[in-house]
Amino acid sequence: MKAFHTFCVVLLVFGSVSEAKFDDFEDEEDIVEYDDNDFAEFEDVMEDSVTESPQRVIITEDDEDETTVELEGQDENQEGDFEDADTQEGDTESEPYDDEEFEGYEDKPDTSSSKNKDPITIVDVPAHLQNSWESYYLEILMVTGLLAYIMNYIIGKNKNSRLAQAWFNTHRELLESNFTLVVVLPLGDDGTNKEATSTGKLNQENEHIYNLWCSGRVCCEGMLIQLRFLKRQDLLNVLARMMRPVSDQVQIKVTMNDEDMDTYVFAVGTRKALVRLQKEMQDLSEFCSDKPKSGAKYGLPDSLAILSEMGEVTDGMMDTKMVHFLTHYADKIESVHFSDQFSGPKIMQEEGQPLKLPDTKRTLLFTFNVPGSGNTYPKDMEALLPLMNMVIYSIDKAKKFRLNREGKQKADKNRARVEENFLKLTHVQRQEAAQSRREEKKRAEKERIMNEEDPEKQRRLEEAALRREQKKLEKKQMKMKQIKVKAM
Amino acid sequence: MSTNNMSDPRRPNKVLRYKPPPSECNPALDDPTPDYMNLLGMIFSMCGLMLKLKWCAWVAVYCSFISFANSRSSEDTKQMMSSFILTPLSCLRLSISAVVMSYLQNPQPMTPPW
Repeated sequence: MKAFHTFCVVLLVFGSVSEAKFDDFEDEEDIVEYDDNDFAEFEDVMEDSVTESPQRVIITEDDEDETTVELEGQDENQEGDFEDADTQEGDTESEPYDDEEFEGYEDKPDTSSSKNKDPITIVDVPAHLQNSWESYYLEILMVTGLLAYIMNYIIGKNKNSRLAQAWFNTHRELLESNFTLVVVLPLGDDGTNKEATSTGKLNQENEHIYNLWCSGRVCCEGMLIQLRFLKRQDLLNVLARMMRPVSDQVQIKVTMNDEDMDTYVFAVGTRKALVRLQKEMQDLSEFCSDKPKSGAKYGLPDSLAILSEMGEVTDGMMDTKMVHFLTHYADKIESVHFSDQFSGPKIMQEEGQPLKLPDTKRTLLFTFNVPGSGNTYPKDMEALLPLMNMVIYSIDKAKKFRLNREGKQKADKNRARVEENFLKLTHVQRQEAAQSRREEKKRAEKERIMNEEDPEKQRRLEEAALRREQKKLEKKQMKMKQIKVKAM
Repeated sequence: MSTNNMSDPRRPNKVLRYKPPPSECNPALDDPTPDYMNLLGMIFSMCGLMLKLKWCAWVAVYCSFISFANSRSSEDTKQMMSSFILTPLSCLRLSISAVVMSYLQNPQPMTPPW
């Protein structure tokens, strides 16, 4: 009984080990099942011939494991004997390892069981001692994966770099004819680069973001062009993009001189982009509170919508040339945003509202999608050249466009309103800040008085503090009286 | 300055230097992938080293590769105020050492965690 149990335990171990490593031995499971079914019939027989059942399975396992040569002789002998039993029994199941063939041969199992006890331990050959690379298949898989990632990194990086160069080559002439300085951005600006000259390369911020700074033109302080390509160098990103196609983008930000642009906030673009911008951008959310309107009135296609501070601005902006640009290249335009109150996206602060309004700059922002939605080739960059013309035209137009008197008044009112709202919101905070400052001062004074060792000095300081407080109270009372008089 | 439309729009005397936008909050707002991957890589490599789990070490290597590929690197290595270059490389070193150590201690092939 005990031997049976130990054999069963050993069996389970072998069974699990073999299953994990060798997938093609499904017979084992079959055998086990058949064992159960068969043993159900021969339960009495099982009790008597205890050593039979384990031995059968062991023998089959020995047959499967190629490493145990010494048992094969035995197995063949036993199989030979048992095959007769097979034919005698008239076994209908055509399994190579039938249990019924072992029936009636209790003698043999008893004698050979002792021999089989020892070899059982040899069967378990650790995998790392087997001189086969197959057992390291997971490692090989991992290394292959890493190699694939590295390959993709190199290929992606090169593609992005080629696209950027193609863009630059196409646009270089136009940019250089309009701007004095078309330059690679020196990131570590330590002032040594005094003679800023035009170089022939784009600055690479990342493996997928390229920057270009153009400066030295009428109307604008400068123009920052950012080529935001897809992350072709990251395999994960490439796989994610297969689910959801995304486009490369070209983002252009023109900073205008203060005197060259009037005060208005205006945006045109795809509806989705405008909704997102309205939520994100500080100025759009404050000044353009309506939902994006359709531009059909001006002849724009349905895909584009307009967000504007005033109707007059829209009328002024949508002249024929602009409409022409927008209709012809509507598929490439993501958003166009002109604003004199541009301060970037809304900053989410943890401590509540910031205590002062963020700095604003007059800017024109353009976001264009590169055609191809991910599968871009360098020649697609030529399609973006007319869009650059639109940018230049917009710069000149922004300089020329001036609001009339009404518009200016409205704009000024809007700005005052926004500022007031902001002040109201932060009023509580500012009051609290002032209050805390005052309390700090008082506390510091008291500390000083306490720390003064000389009792005389202490008394004098206390009196001085008292007098100061009295003066303050008097002042307040005077103010209240004055206000009351004025009210009357 | 009188400018008629036909003249050159360039103004060499109005050239401005580029000032990169203050990047105190920008790096955090931009893509956080390299930071997450960095952290994951560190955690997995420590797990792999301490608990002697080979698959942890391999996942750490992958994480550090992904972090490196996504990193906001600049060519100027002097501008290391934000240590974005340092940590991805150190993560890579740590993860590779985790893999190597796991195999030196236990040269058996890897068993998957499932």
